[in-house]
Amino acid sequence: MFFNSLAFAIFLPIVFFLYWFVFNKTKSTQNALLIVASYYFYSCWDWRFLFLLVFSTFLDYYTGIQIEKGKSERNRKFWFWLSILVNLGFLGIFKYYNFFASSFSELLNSVGIKASPILLNVILPVGISFYTFHGLSYVIDIYYKRIKAEYNFVDYSLFVSYFPLLVAGPIERATHLLPQVKVKREFDFEKAKEGVCQIIWGLVKKVVIADTCATYANAIFDNYTSMNSFSLILGAVYFAFQIYGDFSGYSDIALGVSKLFGLDLLRNFNYPYFSRDIAEFWRRWHISLSSWFRDYLYIPLGGSKGGIWMKIRNTFIIFVVSGFWHGANWTYIAWGFINAMYFLPLLLSNSNRNNIDEIHLKFNFDSVKVIISIFSTFLITCVAWVFFRAKTITDAILYLKRIITDRDFSFQYLDNERYNYELIILIAVFILVEWNSRTKIEPLSGKRNLLKIMLAIIAIMVFGTFSDYKEFIYFQF
Amino acid sequence: MKKFLIYIAKIILLMILLGFLLDGLFTAIFMQSYNRGKIESVFNSKAQDLDVVILGSSRANNHFVSQMFKDKGLKTFNYGMSGGHLFEASLMLKLMIERKYAIKNVILEADLNLANDQNSEGISALFLPYIHNSGIIKEHFKVNKDFNELYYLPFYRYIKYGTKIGFREMFFTAIHKKTNSLDNFGYYPLGITKNANMKGNLTYLYPLLKNKYYEEIKNICKLNGINLIAVMTPVCENEKGLIYFDRVKKAYPEIYNYENVVADDKYFSTCGHLNDAGAKLFTARIIKDFFSK
Repeated sequence: MFFNSLAFAIFLPIVFFLYWFVFNKTKSTQNALLIVASYYFYSCWDWRFLFLLVFSTFLDYYTGIQIEKGKSERNRKFWFWLSILVNLGFLGIFKYYNFFASSFSELLNSVGIKASPILLNVILPVGISFYTFHGLSYVIDIYYKRIKAEYNFVDYSLFVSYFPLLVAGPIERATHLLPQVKVKREFDFEKAKEGVCQIIWGLVKKVVIADTCATYANAIFDNYTSMNSFSLILGAVYFAFQIYGDFSGYSDIALGVSKLFGLDLLRNFNYPYFSRDIAEFWRRWHISLSSWFRDYLYIPLGGSKGGIWMKIRNTFIIFVVSGFWHGANWTYIAWGFINAMYFLPLLLSNSNRNNIDEIHLKFNFDSVKVIISIFSTFLITCVAWVFFRAKTITDAILYLKRIITDRDFSFQYLDNERYNYELIILIAVFILVEWNSRTKIEPLSGKRNLLKIMLAIIAIMVFGTFSDYKEFIYFQF
Repeated sequence: MKKFLIYIAKIILLMILLGFLLDGLFTAIFMQSYNRGKIESVFNSKAQDLDVVILGSSRANNHFVSQMFKDKGLKTFNYGMSGGHLFEASLMLKLMIERKYAIKNVILEADLNLANDQNSEGISALFLPYIHNSGIIKEHFKVNKDFNELYYLPFYRYIKYGTKIGFREMFFTAIHKKTNSLDNFGYYPLGITKNANMKGNLTYLYPLLKNKYYEEIKNICKLNGINLIAVMTPVCENEKGLIYFDRVKKAYPEIYNYENVVADDKYFSTCGHLNDAGAKLFTARIIKDFFSK
């Protein structure tokens, strides 16, 4: 059940009605309803994986309590590592096993040892990377005594399985979401209104920007060997907006839907393409994942403390692991590695926190510098996206090489029966709208709210792509 | 909560209103279309006399050279549509009759398309802007599963078939941007395709015994005194399962089998489509056999 499907358009009002009009007596009834709705929502993909979700939830719930109750450090450690290993074990089997097996087999073959990998015929359970990380952060926080274990199984289950965030995040923290589910929610008109605006804006990003860009980006990436330099540059830009519109659109809808139920989720995107350097980009892109890796990987590894080699090592680890989190493919690892390379000079020159203030443009030289830095950050991000999107690293390199060597900047006709430049105006308008609302969560709230909603609906109806590309990219992660 | 429900009601009302407004706007623009495609040109046309009307899929569109009929003094237009099925061919003929076209002959490409009586989504979508302005189109689409949504939900058809009748097509229609589909009196010549797939397999394809839309076309022609010439058109020499054409002949003895009149691969653009040289050979044979008097 996708957020942009008819099924969800029926599901959401039903759950909303039951939540506020039937099960609104106590927080327990509210939570119970949300759990049932969430499990139903998840089972719409594949009901068999519901058992995995419930097991994973129970494991973390139980081990969390055992860690807290643990009398000795050894005992606490046992439950801690049990949870970590089982969680990562599931992730490893479903997501990474085939990749490691085939990579290892290729390695053996390359040194002359014949080997054929035993591959598992399993599909990746939707959202496993997200709910596993929910559980991991919860258990780690209990182990390090940052939070108390949750003894109410329904409340804890809701924290892990809450349907708006279940399949593609944001990756929540127990410290943020659990306190909210522990109290009865009262209806708040302003919050719900904000939620509606966020849902509509998320849909604009998804069906108008992401899905439309996808038709062009796919036509270019899938035929890159016959594309000229201009098309290839546009292909990378279109993919940059496809993945941004797709994932941030999903996050906006998730946050908006959650607000309808009185629950705030972590913000996941903060206009990342207006970043002035790559460090700022990573503070604005997929914030819940970046901060997760920062808190549970980078800092435990020593962070930016220690010597220069320690800093370099930790930077590479966090970016490569973050890339690998996206999928079992060398292209994601390369994408992470490239981002680490971008980040390193900032870290070593202690300028990775230079751009934490808001952007204000005026008619002066500093503003020109800001615009250039935004543009150059976007440019290098696009280069990295080529690796993310390409089927193999070789394809990515050949794609980039062709941009330089082809030198043909004419308009080209694509196999989607469109010219390569036709989408630029739509993207330009989108950038202007986002730029004007960069200090807000989304551009629709505030003054002339209904007029802005009307324009958004027109955009969805007239410019939206509905025939293909319904699936959100991050569902596969 | 009451305030919120009113707010949601306003948004829903806005959506419905916008649906009607956009539907009206798009439809009004498509009603002005005359140079974008064959369907629009027929729908928005007036009565005319035609000696030969060619109907069918791309295997009609790319195989019958209208100019050669013209050279014989026959007023001809090739209404074959790439990707089209008999569903669309039948509807096209119905629209022509409604517009009081005086047609002497209909050449119908009837071969591979006899194997199904479904609509071709991509082509049939092009009729949908006119569904509220034509009882014939409405009736013809009633067999479709999603007829009610397409007919009653405002703007739904433009959303569902955005790539065919969405904003881009509406915009080009509004500025009267011409396409090449009406050039050469509807005939679209194909060139030689490098590394074209010159293989195919029809072994497991069977014509429907009573194809609804073929029968419909036959009846329309009969009722309107039109001479129907239904023909099977050529496929390349490596095509497997040529028995299919025998099956067609057995099911529909009145259909002329011209599958093998052009066989050499050099006359084909792809296995199922003649190139321009092949189309000329084929058309010459058709003219000789049916219009030489």
